[in-house]
Parts: sequence; structure tokens; C-alpha cells
Amino acid sequence: MSGISRRRFLAASVAGCTATALAGPRKALASGSFTGYPDSMGVLVDLTRCIGCRSCEAACNKEQQLPAPDRPFDDKSVFDETFHGGTQKRRTDENAYTVVNRYDTKDAGPVYRKVQCNHCSEPACLSSCFVNAYTKTPEGAVIYKGNVCVGCRTCMVACPFHVPAYSYSSAIDPVVKKCIFCYETRLKKGLPPACVDICPQEALTFGKRKDLIKIGQQRIQTNPGRYVNHLYGEKELGGTSWMYLSSVPFEEVGFDPTPGNEPIINHVKDFLGTVPMVLAIWPAMFTGFHLLAKKQADHDDHEHDAEKQHGDEGGEQ
Amino acid sequence: MKSLIGWGVKPVDSHVNEKNDKQWSLVQKLFLGLTPGQYLGQALRNPFNWILGIIFAVGLPLIVYRFLFGLGAVTHASNDYPWGLFLGFGLFVMVPLSASGFLLGTTVEIFGRHDFEPIERLALLNGLLGYLFAVVYLLVDLGQPWRLPYPMFVSFGPAAVLFLVAWHVATYLSVQVAEVSVAFFEWIGWLGGKRFIRRIAIGLTVSGIILSTLHQGALGALFNYAPGKVHPLWFSSPFQWIHFFCSAIPAGLCMVIVVSTIIKKTMAWRCDSNFIDNLDRLTLGLAKGASMGLITYLVIKFIGVAHDNEWAYLATGWGAWFLFEMAVGVVLPIMLFAYAVRHQAVKLARIGAVFTVFGIALNRLNTALIAFNWQLYQEIPHVFEVIIAITLFAIYVVVYRFLLYRLPILYSWKALPEEAFAAEAAKAAPVKISGSPVGAMYRKID
Amino acid sequence: MSAKLILTTLTMVLTFITVGNLAQAADMPDQVSIDAMSVLFEGVEFDHAMHTELGEDCSACHHHATGTGTTDERCVSCHANSDEVASVGCRSCHASEPFSAEHINRKSEEIYKFHIDMPGLKAAYHWNCIGCHEEMDGPTGCQDCHARTPEGDAFYHSDASSASTSGKSGH
Repeated sequence: MSGISRRRFLAASVAGCTATALAGPRKALASGSFTGYPDSMGVLVDLTRCIGCRSCEAACNKEQQLPAPDRPFDDKSVFDETFHGGTQKRRTDENAYTVVNRYDTKDAGPVYRKVQCNHCSEPACLSSCFVNAYTKTPEGAVIYKGNVCVGCRTCMVACPFHVPAYSYSSAIDPVVKKCIFCYETRLKKGLPPACVDICPQEALTFGKRKDLIKIGQQRIQTNPGRYVNHLYGEKELGGTSWMYLSSVPFEEVGFDPTPGNEPIINHVKDFLGTVPMVLAIWPAMFTGFHLLAKKQADHDDHEHDAEKQHGDEGGEQ
Repeated sequence: MKSLIGWGVKPVDSHVNEKNDKQWSLVQKLFLGLTPGQYLGQALRNPFNWILGIIFAVGLPLIVYRFLFGLGAVTHASNDYPWGLFLGFGLFVMVPLSASGFLLGTTVEIFGRHDFEPIERLALLNGLLGYLFAVVYLLVDLGQPWRLPYPMFVSFGPAAVLFLVAWHVATYLSVQVAEVSVAFFEWIGWLGGKRFIRRIAIGLTVSGIILSTLHQGALGALFNYAPGKVHPLWFSSPFQWIHFFCSAIPAGLCMVIVVSTIIKKTMAWRCDSNFIDNLDRLTLGLAKGASMGLITYLVIKFIGVAHDNEWAYLATGWGAWFLFEMAVGVVLPIMLFAYAVRHQAVKLARIGAVFTVFGIALNRLNTALIAFNWQLYQEIPHVFEVIIAITLFAIYVVVYRFLLYRLPILYSWKALPEEAFAAEAAKAAPVKISGSPVGAMYRKID
Repeated sequence: MSAKLILTTLTMVLTFITVGNLAQAADMPDQVSIDAMSVLFEGVEFDHAMHTELGEDCSACHHHATGTGTTDERCVSCHANSDEVASVGCRSCHASEPFSAEHINRKSEEIYKFHIDMPGLKAAYHWNCIGCHEEMDGPTGCQDCHARTPEGDAFYHSDASSASTSGKSGH
């Protein structure tokens, strides 16, 4: 191989290697699977117990020092609010990290469902964040650093539960906003989140996630006919710290019935896996193509003439 | 401009003013060798500038408004639809249409198809500007654009696809700046810079291929984070990145056809014979390449449908929309290209290219906006959002035109005699251009 | 209001019945004050005497604790003939802070015991009272039993305009 073409080959290889080095940690983080911290905490939400009092919304508002609501928290008329042509019920936003919605079901009458961050074991928001703002704490909370949030909002696209919200109203410091399991003020100190504490019905049971799974299964077993035989969140999307029991099929109360049990990151791993391959193979392959093309081509390009002469003597590799 | 040329004014294409044998100053080069009065006159006579003026008059204040009052004031980007037109169009459409840079770079530099050289620089510039404005759209869309360097320098999320996109787009932008700088160095007359870039051209091109493969694919892989939100016909977990990468190939090639067609119609005065005379042949060559890309894309799209057994969706309204996209954006251009190549019908190839660009743009808009959240509701962009997107595109057009007017993209820079000598020393075979006193062509003519 | 205060009270009326040993009917209280944790709501003056007249038997509220047997099919296998327990007050079994670290750890250690899913005191009251009231047409609204305090009004933002139609929650 000639001096010039070797130099060019090296230039290409160096570009590739630099990029491979960059890709190193990416691959390392992408492989393997994580099934959650052993003693992480969770909450079991029992929809059969919720009476729609909205006290959890009030407690959250107070605990997280959110802006005052437009309507009182004991105003049940919010359950009749719909959006986007009646297709959507209330959702979490920058002013409300949790909301309760009412679903009028055929079999069980009104069923109330609390929505908040489900604190996935393998959070999609976390894996999609390019500034690594999110953290899954050993306690089970998915928290985030607002001070590095660039505002790309990929986490909102990634969240299968439509949970993270964005402070679109702010021009100076807009960041993602979501339930953080009351991590700073409570969870870290071993206390239940504010919504759990206020709930008059114990519709929210706080405990170790592994215990909650047993408790949930026990409730289904010992109360025949009360629940559909499914603990939503035990396996969904790799498992969530917040899990649900319901008396009606989950799709009737606004859940995605078939999210699959694969964590979102598994859909991305294949692509991330090809990255180092491309970085490693492409430089050699295309430089090889180049040398092959040079050998057979009988072109008159002055820019490459010098190289061509040498290239003919050198190999194609 | 045409009328000025009719009056005997010649736009700058060399370092020396033919009339007085003096070197053009940089300012004179910026005014294309016209007097400021002449320049302003031609600008005002161009009705297109008036349209641009109206767009800017409405759009620029809105962009200021967006930064004063936040995204919520100008967009319908919501908690359910975090990405609106700025990313749906600005990022996801602009980037595949800018694949031209690495494609023509590969064709010419790697595969040695030097017969494509007359259009290589246009393709490189098209790539550079497309990426640059994808970043501009991104800056308008980001909640805190001043934190854009964070993933580079402050806080790293290396396992995120967007991290890869950010790094690769940033790196690739620099690669493209380097590639296009050859034309800039000629224009300002700094041969050293040009020679340096030529020397590392292969390295640049190969890194261009790597980076393009990965981030074109990565834009598709971004939707792998939302497997349940994008309609299954526009989402295929194992193949999404290949779909995006593969469709970027015809998109980039056809964008060059479309841009060169517009140039031929509106900017012929700026093109030299090397560009104009070769354009028809090159258009058919690009069309051939694009049709190979489109056929592959069509096949793997349907492999995607078959792999996840999504045939039943084709019978729904979404299926009809999907088939429309495939028919108009993929099948129709394939047929047009096939006919055009066989019968040397360049015009049909150009029409096919327009359909391809439309089809790929529609595909990206479908994936990012229309078929996104297909189980929720349809979001219609805010009118301000549309206006800002159009304004940014108008700035893109203006910058594009500004550079085409000046840099030797469409024409060859006529080097000074001493430069020509230097070029000759570097085994150049200078080609005489008829009627040119300075004469020696620096760049090769096919 | 301090966080600790909210934490321990947030709630509706709560807590322990200051009842002695119910070994004999004569020890039964006529009136029970449920008020120790009342902050957002006033305490409840529970008319025990009236409820004992209404109730079919003690187990309706006290399960097997009063030694009067139980008919709940989930309980009879063990507690059909259980003896009276030392203290039959609700809070003797139902924890006023069911989610304290201590409680959760004990739950974790005893996860295979049957009573692991026992509700806390606040839930026990609400389930028992409201469940029966629904059947017997008793009062079921929050303030039917316990009036809201000024702190409660602030907590629920009862001053927020109810007329406002554009809820911030949503989109």
C-alpha cells in the first residue's frame, strides 16, 4: 500500500476508532438486562378501593409545591372533563403530577383510576435521555435532574404511559415534570409518598415491590370475583414499581392492554448493537471498495493520479 | 440577474476582474462583482425576494416571540405530542433529504465515479445546509437550546440513541464543513487549505459514510423508544433503522435532482457549461441510483409488514394512507425512473424525483406526527408553528442561494496563472475554457 | 403546617378508640371519640351504643376479636371459635401508621402469614363505616361524619373558583 493511500486509510481508521471509543460505554450499558433493585419500594393501586375523593391530588399538590388548582380538589366535576373531542381524560401535566379519572364501566359502575409515574424497573425515559438526567434509585423512584434537561422531550415520546410532562409555559427554564415518588422529601427517609399517606381507603398500599406482588396475588386469590386475574405492572414493560389491581379488564379503565413484557430499551438494543459493528466494519470495507475501484478505473482524475500509480503496486486491502 | 448579464455584466468567477485586470476584493466578491446599486436592483427586481420578504416580515417576529414566551405560545406541542413540526419536518425530513452529501461523496471519491464530479459539490452543499438547518430547527424546538452542548460536555447519556444522533450530527457537520470548504478556499483564494482537504478527502468521505449510516438509522431508531405509539405500519422494531437509512438514499439523491432542476430553471447564469451540459446525463444517473434505493426500500417495507404480520392493517383507513404513501412516494417514482432511464426522458426523472422527495417527507411526517399516537387523537400544528417552520425553511433557501451565487459550486473557479501552475505541478491537466482570458481550469472537467 | 403534621394527619378523622377492655357488655362504651389524628377534618363522635343496637353481632365490626365467632368464610377456618382477645379496640390490630419502615419490614419478614394484608387504621374505619352505611343507607359523604377544618379547606383549595371551566389538568 502506498504512503498516500495508507495515510488515507489511517485517517479513515482513526475516524472509525475514535467513534468506536465513543461507542464503547454505549454498548456496555445497552447489553444485559436489569430486573430492578432487590429491595426497591413500590405502591399497589387497588382500583376497587378508590372512591375518587382526589385527596391524593391535593396531597401531591401540597407536597410538591405545585401551583394552586383552578378548581378545588374536592370538586368531582373534573371527572366529566374530556379533551380532544371527548377522546381524552385528564392527564398529568406540569401542574399536576398525579390525576384521578373516572371510568363508567358496564359491570362495575364508576371505577376510578389514579395516574402517576409508574416508576419502571427499566425506565424508557431514563434510557432515552441523552444527558442522563434520569436516575432509578435503589429505593425504586425514577427521579431526574432538571438542571441538565435540554428540553428535547424524547423521554415524553419514550414513556409508554404518557407520564412525563413539559413546562411549555416557561420561556426561561422549561424542564420535564413528573412524579418522583416524593423521593427527596419522603421516600429517601423511608416514608410513604404523600398520596399514599392521605388515601382514606388504602387504595394505595406502599411496601417493598416484591412483597406487593405477593399481596396483590393474595388479594386476587382470597377475593374470588373481585378482581380480574392480573397484576398490571408486575411484568409489563419489564415491571413497574407502581402496580394495579382492577375489578374490570384494564383496557376499560384506560390502560394499554398489550404493552408487552419487554422493557422499551430492548427495542433499541438491536440498533445500539449494530453501532460498533458499523464503526468497525465500514472504514475497512469502504476503503477497500475505494482501492478496488481505483485499480480497475481508468479515469483521468489528476487529484488521484499519484495515488493511483502507487495503488496499482500496492494491495487492495 | 439575467437582465444584468444581458447588459454585459459578468458575475465573479475568478480572482481577477477581467475589465481592469485587478484582483477582486472580498467585498466585491460578495457583491458578485456588481456595484451595490446593481446588486440591490437585481435583488429588488426578483419577485421571489418579495415573497421571502413577506415570509420574513411575519415569521421573524414570531421566532422572537417564541423565545420570549416559550414553546407553549407558538406550538401545539403537548404532553402527548412532544414533537411537532419543528422536529417532524425540520429534523426528520431535512436529514434524509440531506443524505446527498455522503452519497455523492461515496460515488465519486470511494467508487471512483468521477463522471459525477460536476454535481458532487452541489450534493455536498445540499448535505451541509440540510444538516445545518436541521440543527437550526432543533434549536428552535429545544426547550433550552443554550444547553445543546450538554450532551457533549456536561452530562453524558451514552446509552441513548439521541446521544448518538447528537454526536454524529455534530461530527458529520464538521466533516461536511470541511468537504464544502474546498469551494470556499477557492473562492477566498487560499490554496493551502484546499490542498489539505483534498489530501484527507478519503478519510472525510469514509467517516461521512459511517456517521451517515448511523445517524440516518438512529433517527429511525428513536422511534424504537415508542413501539406502542407509532402505528404498526410505520413501525417495525427490528427494521426501523434500516427503513430510515435505506429511504434516505433515494431521498438524498432525488433532493439533488430537485435542487439542480430549480437551479437550471432559475440560476442558469451561475452554472458553467460543465454543470449545465452534464446535468441531464447526471440526472438520469442519479435517478438510476435512486430507483435501486427505492426498490430496496419498497421490498424491506413490506418485509417489515410481513415480519410482524401486519397485513390486516392494510385493510383499514391507516392501511389506505400507508398504501397511498407507498404508491405515490415509492412505486410511482420507480416506474417514472424506469421509463425515464430507458427513454432518456430527463423530465420524467425530474418529476419522479419530486414524488420521491414528497414520499419520503410524507413518510417521516407520518412516523413522527400523523401515525404517532394513532390510538389517541390527531394533533394539528399551531398556525404559528407552521409559519415558523416555513420561515426557517425560507432562511434555508436564502442561505442556499447566497452560497450558490458565490462559491464555485455550480461553476469552476478560474485560478490565477500561478495557481494553475501549482495545480499543473500537482499533475493537473488544465483544460482551457473558451473565451476565458485567465483560462486554466483548476478543477477537472469530465 | 409542617410536613410532619401533614404526614401524621393529612387525613380524615382517625385513630384510636379509647376503649377499655370489652370483656363484658357492661364495659362497652356508649360513645367513642375518633379524633386523635384529626387535622383536616374534625373528629367523629361515634355512637357505639346506637351501632350495637343496629348491628347483628359484634363480629360485623370486630371480626373474631370479641370471641363471638365469625361467619366470614375467609376467617371461619381458623377463627370460628376463637377466644376473645385482650384488647378489642380497632387500633389494637390496625396500625395507625401502616407504612412505617418498621411495619413494612415486619411485613416483609412475615410475608407468608395470612394477615399480612391487614389495612391500616384509617382504611379500616372507612371501609367498615362506609361499607355498612352504603348498605344501611347511612351517611357516606366525607363531611356527613366529620366536618372539614380550616386546614382542610386550605388543603383542598376550596376557595378555587368552581366556575372555572378550563381545568389546568389536561392539555
